[in-house]
Amino acid sequence: MRNKRLFILMIGLIVFIALMGVTLGRTRLTWPEKFASDAFGTVQSVLYRPVGAVADFFRDLGRLSDVYQENERLRRTVAQYTQDQIKFNLLEADNKRLQEELEFTERQKQMDDYRYLIAHVVGSNSNPYEKTITINLGSKDGIKPEMAVRTVDGLVGLVSKVKNFTSTVTLITNLDTGTSKGTPVSATFLSKPDSFGIIEYDDETKALLMTKIDEKDKPADGDQVITSGLGSLFPKGIIIGTVKSSQVGDFGLTYTAVIEPAARFDHLREVFVIVVPEVDEP
Amino acid sequence: MNGIILLGIVFLILENAVVPWLVPPAWSDRLLPHLTFVLTMFVAAFAGRHPAFLFGLGFGMLQDLLSYGELIGPYAFGMGLLGYLVGLLAEYRTFSVGVFAWVTVMAGVLLDSIVYFIYNLFRLTELSYAYALYWQAAPTALLQLLIALLIYVPVRRYLAKTSSSQGEDSSE
Repeated sequence: MRNKRLFILMIGLIVFIALMGVTLGRTRLTWPEKFASDAFGTVQSVLYRPVGAVADFFRDLGRLSDVYQENERLRRTVAQYTQDQIKFNLLEADNKRLQEELEFTERQKQMDDYRYLIAHVVGSNSNPYEKTITINLGSKDGIKPEMAVRTVDGLVGLVSKVKNFTSTVTLITNLDTGTSKGTPVSATFLSKPDSFGIIEYDDETKALLMTKIDEKDKPADGDQVITSGLGSLFPKGIIIGTVKSSQVGDFGLTYTAVIEPAARFDHLREVFVIVVPEVDEP
Repeated sequence: MNGIILLGIVFLILENAVVPWLVPPAWSDRLLPHLTFVLTMFVAAFAGRHPAFLFGLGFGMLQDLLSYGELIGPYAFGMGLLGYLVGLLAEYRTFSVGVFAWVTVMAGVLLDSIVYFIYNLFRLTELSYAYALYWQAAPTALLQLLIALLIYVPVRRYLAKTSSSQGEDSSE
């Protein structure tokens, strides 16, 4: 009797290790998986958003005193924006003219015209090692795996699994290159477009790190960090955060900067999925 | 038993849709209660080991499916195994509230440990075990205990009623 139990436990262990091995790093889902996720996602969306609205309302009540200062700051930012808008329009016209003169192909011209699909978050799960959120857009809405996801504030994550009506988003805090399934996020400083670094996440200090920064590009506190779009899945120009502190890296040849993320990763309600224009196959 | 499965589905939806909002932002990656796991403990303690095994396996698998990012299976494995073991324990001695509370805390820590070791095995997490235990597993287990005590009276009464009526059915 005892032996039988042990035997069944061993078989169960082997079956589960095999199941985990098979499901590790798969992008296509079978229909029962899609059906279960879609069904739960739909029901969750009925609850998640109203509860979120109520929770946000109470949090906003608590922050009512900050509104005056925030308003002041926003007014200054808007003034800055109108200035920049004029400059931007001139530069864009210039850029378009130059592109035409250099005979850019249609694809090259449209490379940076991202489309944003707004998605509602319908759930976030309780697995501490796999922080994912569920959004209410799926393959029927044109979502594909590995599209970047952002909020109004900044980069949040990457679409990992797509179902028919919902999809799961892996947060950038889970894309650590130190783990076996990590995805490198290449980043650059807004003020120094040629600089380069890789974003990592330190689980124990709960901070984003930008590593492998070249000696020439010494990071200054308060520098804005954006995605560079070089050699990775993320389109360029999405805000990641600002530099909080920096030190010389592991071998003294590079810099490492600690980054304050622009977006928060919990209590999310709306996110944008970034659709990069399709590359037409020749 | 149907009622408890229905309750399990409701708890699963609450766990993913409502609980994240109730936890304050500073604690959002420390308090991650698994409501269906608490329910598995009830089934194990008051309805027997085989129902608990199937209940844990099924809801663990559903939970894994809904949060599928990297792999499927850790929670199905952990909850099925712990449901069975606690059910086995419940057959040797009947559970009072105190014993049940202890078992819930211990099993909660064990579940998070099992899940941690599976993720460590596949090199998906770099945390040290002591840190994971202190940062996430211990506060979560205590919160699960609180939830278990809150729902203790109605769920136990329901399970005792249905299992006794099933016992009468089988004796006839």
